[in-house]
Amino acid sequence: MDPNTTSSRGRALRIAVFNHKGGVGKTTLNVNIAAALASLGKKILLVDSDPQCNLTAYLIEEAVVDDLLDTSDSADGGRTVWSAVKPVVDATGNIRIIEPIERLSNVFILPGDIRLSEFEQELSPMWSECFQRKPKGFRGTTAISHLVDSVASAYDIDFVFYDAGPNIGPLNRVLLLDCDYFIVPAACDLFSIRALKTLGHTLLNWINEWKTIVELAPTNVHLLPGLPKFLGYIPQRFRVYGGDVASSYAKYLPRIERGISSDLVTVLRRLNPILAPFSGSASELGQVKDFGTIATASQTQGEPMKDVNAGAPEQRAEAEQVFLEIAKKIITRTSPDIAAAAKK
Amino acid sequence: MAIANINADDQKLLDQLVSHYLTNQSLIKAFLDSIHAHIAEAMIEPRALSKLVHSIKRRMKDPSHLKDKLLRKLLEARESGEEFDITEDNLLLRINDLGGYRILHLHTQQMEEIHNALLELLDVAQCDLFEPPFANIWDEESRAYFEGIGINTAVNPRLYSSVHYVIKPRSKMQVTYEIQVRTLADEIWGEIDHKINYPYPHESLSCREQIKALARVASSCSRLVDSIVASHQDWEDEQKAKRLAAH
Repeated sequence: MDPNTTSSRGRALRIAVFNHKGGVGKTTLNVNIAAALASLGKKILLVDSDPQCNLTAYLIEEAVVDDLLDTSDSADGGRTVWSAVKPVVDATGNIRIIEPIERLSNVFILPGDIRLSEFEQELSPMWSECFQRKPKGFRGTTAISHLVDSVASAYDIDFVFYDAGPNIGPLNRVLLLDCDYFIVPAACDLFSIRALKTLGHTLLNWINEWKTIVELAPTNVHLLPGLPKFLGYIPQRFRVYGGDVASSYAKYLPRIERGISSDLVTVLRRLNPILAPFSGSASELGQVKDFGTIATASQTQGEPMKDVNAGAPEQRAEAEQVFLEIAKKIITRTSPDIAAAAKK
Repeated sequence: MAIANINADDQKLLDQLVSHYLTNQSLIKAFLDSIHAHIAEAMIEPRALSKLVHSIKRRMKDPSHLKDKLLRKLLEARESGEEFDITEDNLLLRINDLGGYRILHLHTQQMEEIHNALLELLDVAQCDLFEPPFANIWDEESRAYFEGIGINTAVNPRLYSSVHYVIKPRSKMQVTYEIQVRTLADEIWGEIDHKINYPYPHESLSCREQIKALARVASSCSRLVDSIVASHQDWEDEQKAKRLAAH
């Protein structure tokens, strides 16, 4: 099989938890949502596509990460996402399929790599090469998508999550255009709300540019789907006192919802109604408060909050419930019937 | 020009077609740019094309010229009792020069190599020939040359000389382009003719006749360059043979 010409996208749904505003807890969400989906019997592939490797550091032991990064450049021993795309960057051949690491039960991970930033640099000229209809541009632009095609079908994956870095750079552009859905985490602060405006317009530009590229594309190249649909948003990291959201955070919740409606849903629907199947108010996937100790422990122990060795059992049960609800909503909203009904 | 038999519906159709062109203009230009990227690259590399081609030009069609062209086609169809069948669906395929590309070279005899290099390049640029290329000619000598190198010919009564390739990118979007290849001397003729006779033939007989005379001079010029280049080559070969004989 030539991985660069087949377009076997398979059945796995690809999702990015995306907001270019940093520090909104993307990686924590990815890990905990993945674990919740796995507990519901789904198979998950986490792709650490952020050169900062937060997800890899989160889930994989330091010594192992060290070894992964030391060997990622070698011609046949590399096991990171960089190892997979390197032949395309070097123009020496097709992507190299790497094996994921099973870290939690039914949660697989494709490790990230600092050197993905080199790939990201190449992606800018490759994007221009797509406009020039040059095959190399398409090979680079679809390289990670191809890797996921292959790994997701080999491991019978249900959901793929891209852990995307907090920026609107060329790497996130190809990841988002490869996604079926995206989820927006929003922290309860002014900048998180302001970021929604840029987010909406950036996605709009990406989708539009890709539409042009699809028209121009030579008939024999692999293409990205280019229609990432808004699956919902998750208010994050607010403090709760005595069962109520602390007032300093509470005032942001309606503002986040308004921002989602006007800066994202409306903007996307104007371009194509299928891009935003759920209205702003109906699209909240759940609220993830600041879980404090168990959130920190989740990162340091490399476990989902429900399984950490810290905090009180009630706290862990609460976190488990929150992420379970989010996971159920993700399953319902992405099931073909619901997605089709929401379009109407 | 008789525009009397154009009714409001015709006018509306023409406007719709021009606006369809404007809607797609940036995409059409993007294709043209992509073809240019390939040709420009071949021009700076020490390959056949860089030694053969003098310069290149490209342009997007002026919307008002498109409207004139469509109007002419509509009137021609009416006069010959045929249906005017250009629609929004086929406009980009039927009007081949919405995006136009021109390759200029020094003398006629270079055409064989240019033809071969261009066919190779079009394949790399993921484009197909939409119809067989043909040379506009008006004399037997040119016909013999072009047909001898496998290019069809068509007699042009206005004495226009140029080889035309209509190409179609292999892509989702269905659009055709025209590449014109001609000598620099023919380019002079073409530019003057365009200025004087386009879109409608000049009313002055003298102007029209002088332009025909210019076509003959331009053609002679290209042939004289052919001859000088051939003579120079011949002389060089002779010198080489002499040097070899002296050793």
